[in-house]
Amino acid sequence: MAAVGRSGNVRPNATLLEALGDAVLPAEVGGGGITRAVSQFQRWMDEYRPGAEANHGYGTGRIEQLTTDPRPLWQAQLAALDADTRRNGGQSFAALARDRRQSLVRSALAGERSDALPSPLAARHVALALLAHFYDSPAATDLCYDAHIGRQTCRPLGTQRQQPVAIERRAR
Amino acid sequence: MTLIVRRQGRPEIVESDICIIGSGISAAMVAEKLVEERQARIVVVEAGDETVPLAERAAHRARFVAYGENPWGNDHIDGMTADGIQSRSMQVGGLAMHWGGVTPRFSPEDFRVKSLYGVGHDWPVSYEELDPYYQEAERRIGVAGEQGPPALDPREKPFPMPALPLTDNLELLQRWADSAGIAMWSQPSAKNSVPYGGRAVCCRNDTCSPVCPVGAKYSPDFTWNTLRASKQVELIPRTLVRRLVVDDQSTRIVRAEAVRRDARGGAGSPVHFRARTFVIAAGYAWSPHLLLLSRSSRFPNGLANRSGTVGKYMTGHRNVFAFVKLPLRLYPGLNEQHSLVTKQFMRPGKIDRYVRHDLRVWESSVGRRPRFKGDDGSVLLGDELLADWRQRSKEGTARVRAYYDVIPDRESALTLNDSATNGYGDPQPKLTFRDSPESAALRAHTEDSIKVLFQRMARAGNGEIIRTGVDDFQDHPAGGCRMGDDPATSVVDSYGRTHDHENLFVVGAPTSVTGGCANATLTFLAVALRQAKVIGQEFTARGSS
Repeated sequence: MAAVGRSGNVRPNATLLEALGDAVLPAEVGGGGITRAVSQFQRWMDEYRPGAEANHGYGTGRIEQLTTDPRPLWQAQLAALDADTRRNGGQSFAALARDRRQSLVRSALAGERSDALPSPLAARHVALALLAHFYDSPAATDLCYDAHIGRQTCRPLGTQRQQPVAIERRAR
Repeated sequence: MTLIVRRQGRPEIVESDICIIGSGISAAMVAEKLVEERQARIVVVEAGDETVPLAERAAHRARFVAYGENPWGNDHIDGMTADGIQSRSMQVGGLAMHWGGVTPRFSPEDFRVKSLYGVGHDWPVSYEELDPYYQEAERRIGVAGEQGPPALDPREKPFPMPALPLTDNLELLQRWADSAGIAMWSQPSAKNSVPYGGRAVCCRNDTCSPVCPVGAKYSPDFTWNTLRASKQVELIPRTLVRRLVVDDQSTRIVRAEAVRRDARGGAGSPVHFRARTFVIAAGYAWSPHLLLLSRSSRFPNGLANRSGTVGKYMTGHRNVFAFVKLPLRLYPGLNEQHSLVTKQFMRPGKIDRYVRHDLRVWESSVGRRPRFKGDDGSVLLGDELLADWRQRSKEGTARVRAYYDVIPDRESALTLNDSATNGYGDPQPKLTFRDSPESAALRAHTEDSIKVLFQRMARAGNGEIIRTGVDDFQDHPAGGCRMGDDPATSVVDSYGRTHDHENLFVVGAPTSVTGGCANATLTFLAVALRQAKVIGQEFTARGSS
């Protein structure tokens, strides 16, 4: 089920991840948007450097390292979702209807105490990590505000006086 | 040219006219001014490594944004740390490689709190005396700023660059502040609003702190690159000064003993720096630390310490903050690190009980971030989650924060921690910040006053406070070698010259008397530039024969 990346580490299964993305990301972005978001998440995981030095927090002399590679845990969680559905109905998680997949994810996340999306690296479940990665993106902010904000991208200084240009939302 | 003598089996010797210890922002200003005005061979000794070149910062920033990686590479030294230190950044450019580029001036009152309000300590230099050096600092680093109301924001000349324009968000928040009777304007910043110093214009990448990927924010490496390229300064990195040595027959400093750090973690090789003048520009922690570390049988309490105040009166300011929910449509990320500022509460006029603070306002995403659980605890996914976020982002949040004066106790101190040594066996510093009794007695009154102000602001905007709090640490730390006219109660005079050693100067942050109630870097620079003027006086002026 799990693929092995260039680094030799386990990568979350692409089919299962795509099915998870389809369940948790907004349908409004369309199939292409979900595929793109999942692929960006996969690339983000692949390029992660476990143990790299973290940015120093403000007001502290502590030096901290980034966490271990989260992919084995997240792949195991995907595999567990898949195994459960196969055990209960004989189907793969990826083959389930969207609302059924959402129901399984809701069960998996019900025990989370906070309502805030964590940073992707701090996510204890792959579904949260994928959500956090997507919603942390400038594109997600633009989607929410229906405006071309382009957060954290290089933009002319002079235009900051103006309200961001509105994005016409597609009919839903 | 600097003379370097390498001797088999003996310490290498580096001779110059002026030896500057440390390469942070104050050191950069002092070196640049000395190069421009004086004929002197200048050596700068930096314990840390070279910094990340500008050309690599965009890639480093990308990894910071994606993963939270430190964008500054190898910016600290194993074993060189301290309890209570604010940052371990130690590399060419120092702490200001990480800074946010925020450059307000102190207000005139900051230098006269004892005379005006009967609390704390006056500085031995006034705002009016510093004004030309503030101007000079603003010109050298490039500050974009807006003249506030002259009664609140006195200055002799305009800023060298036009202000960073207010974002649509900040214009809304400015009107909100105005409705609460508070005049606010664009925060002066060392960020290019127009091309300046051969560097690019800010394009609001929003990661000013910790890293600007385009070089629009000033950082000291730009000054060092210019000075090194013109061969006017010899900057020697990876070299840790461990102690200063005094002449047997006088009180002059004759050499700085250092070690060139071994890249492979070995003992390194010793090097002695000889100079006519020594300038310690190693920041609030490592400057007093070096003086204490230079103790000997003749100077058992360290150098420049006849008063016993080296490492004492460590200072800074604390802040009270709040997040205020407002019925305003604010777009996140238009230029998140830019803010409004006022000096209205730094210049309170006659007051019954002492309270002074600055005030800043930013856009904020607190209470507006996406969440995956609804109010009823149900898990939100797909379109539900996005709809929930859209609903909650119809209104905005403002972040408000006030730095307030903390008057340091004498025992707000940096001391040597003999139980914690670095790889060379030198005790590391230990910092313990402590309010003076009068400051401690004012603390609740000050914090309550600020919270009442925040409530008033919230009401004026038909908003409500989401949460408020106090950051307990003292920001923009300074002191430890405080300036003064009286050698019995201070380490250096107002020009940074130590009272005890005529050829030893300390510049910038460590010489501060108090932390004021605004970001302090520009004040450190103004003080350092005034100090540099006197440091240079012993050397021939440029253009003279």
